[in-house]
Amino acid sequence: MGEHETSGIFESLVEKLPGNFDIYFWNFVILMIFTVFEVGAVFFDVIPGTDIEISLSLVWAILIGVGVVKGYGIAAYFMHLKGDPRVYTRTALFPVLFVLLMLWGIGLSNPGAVGDLPAWCTPFSDGYAMNR
Amino acid sequence: MSGGEAHVENSIWMRAVLFGGVFVAIGLLAFATMGVGIANVKHVAYEDAIHEYEDAKYAYENAKANNASDAEIATLKATKEEAHHHEVEAHLSYLTWRTAGITILLMCFTYASFIGLGGFLNSVFPDDHGHGDHGYGGDDHEHHGSGSPIVFSLGIMLFLMGFPSFQATLGNMLSGVDANLGDLGLSMVGLLFVTAGVANWWREDLPFIGNNEQIATETDEWFAGEHIRKAGLWVFIMSEVMVFATFFSSYLRMRTEWCTEWQVRDGNENCAAVDTLTASDFLRPNGGTLDGLGGQGDFMTLLPGAINTFALIISSYTIVLALKTAKSKDWQAPTGVLGKIMPTKKAAIRNYLIATFLLGSMFIVLKLVEWSHLVAEGFTIGAAGTTGQAASIFYVATGAHGLHVFIGLLVMLYLIFKADTVGYDEKNGQGIEYFGLYWHFVDLAWVVIFPAFYLY
Repeated sequence: MGEHETSGIFESLVEKLPGNFDIYFWNFVILMIFTVFEVGAVFFDVIPGTDIEISLSLVWAILIGVGVVKGYGIAAYFMHLKGDPRVYTRTALFPVLFVLLMLWGIGLSNPGAVGDLPAWCTPFSDGYAMNR
Repeated sequence: MSGGEAHVENSIWMRAVLFGGVFVAIGLLAFATMGVGIANVKHVAYEDAIHEYEDAKYAYENAKANNASDAEIATLKATKEEAHHHEVEAHLSYLTWRTAGITILLMCFTYASFIGLGGFLNSVFPDDHGHGDHGYGGDDHEHHGSGSPIVFSLGIMLFLMGFPSFQATLGNMLSGVDANLGDLGLSMVGLLFVTAGVANWWREDLPFIGNNEQIATETDEWFAGEHIRKAGLWVFIMSEVMVFATFFSSYLRMRTEWCTEWQVRDGNENCAAVDTLTASDFLRPNGGTLDGLGGQGDFMTLLPGAINTFALIISSYTIVLALKTAKSKDWQAPTGVLGKIMPTKKAAIRNYLIATFLLGSMFIVLKLVEWSHLVAEGFTIGAAGTTGQAASIFYVATGAHGLHVFIGLLVMLYLIFKADTVGYDEKNGQGIEYFGLYWHFVDLAWVVIFPAFYLY
């Protein structure tokens, strides 16, 4: 969303594509195509036109892969992190540590049942709340 | 008025009031046709389907009680199940139209209040024919920021402080029970602050034509030379990343505890049977079932979420086109049909913004229609076992995202108003750019939410 020009493999590919369309248009097209993959991966049991089964692992891989590509396309080109001064990318990366901590510390650690979460989050939780 | 800012007559603000009137008319029309007219027809069909199902059920149970032949019982059972299927279809069809009509009505009323009230408040101020000590005006004065966001934030804080008992107080008032008016009053005072903050913010921004944008002047390499508003917006977006990360990490933690259909199919040794249904079990084909719920997903149930995904991506592109047009110094009207829709640069920017606005509005309507279907099918926070937890985090996460879309739509109303009056060009187009960053972030959040909550 800025005014700066960008350069890279995708940009040089866009220059060679037919028609007078810019990088934003091709980014939009790629985002649309990848969304079709995303929905199709869940909707179909086999790859259309083949007998190849779409396993759960494959669905996982497609969902994560498509998410990464779409996230990159939106952040790099639509939000123009690629092309804007590097300080904006640094700003965007600032909360990564906290997000990873939350995903790992809360999301993927599992000290007990879901019902234990309040106790787990309370400092000195071993009886503190009940003994007060 | 100096050449540093556009001259905005008070009569221009009255156009915002007219916009509000148009929204009220659209809302009433949509509600009358979709929420009442079509929905009533669908309701009649739904009642017929209920009667057909009851008749089929009675015939089936009667045949069983009278020891009819196995073939006859099987036929009647198939008829009963078919009738049940029709009843569910008719119910969902009715809900679709009814919810869509009510949602459009409420959205249009909110749009009308927002744009109409802001316009009205500004139209009653005396015309400003000189340099104000606020805003972005003046050739020789650097813009020193605005106090309006602080007033706006204070209003939001007061509104939320009173909000927990807002609904209960309103309910008590309507049912004649003694109500604690303190919290309601606090929320109302908060809304007053919000309205005043927004209206004053518009008054400051509308004349802005790009002069004296505040630039960071620090000497180190970080933000020096960058627009302060843009840097601030990025920091705001990162705080929003944290908000959505809390939803996602909560979901992830609960999800690792549940035995969903995915875990069972995947051969998880701790999951012998499904104990939790997620939204995807109701939406995607071959979803899990539990206690007669779920497993009814097909192309049509997945369609609203898929359409919404495409709508957000398209709307991200249309906002890019609006900015690109605004920044273009040698813009030329397109040929053909597009040329008729966008004969001038001003009209093109406005119409790209309107397209973005319509796509965003469609997103909200489809989302609420989808919610109404999920609730009707039993995916509620009161559902038995951990399915209730799954519903809770689903509605909180997707609801928070929907709220962000809706707030973006309210801001977009103002952008459309400015595009239609003062207009955007290469000098003041950063207003669209900054809003676009927020809108792309909303799209980005959906990139995570859609697969995690709808497909997985």
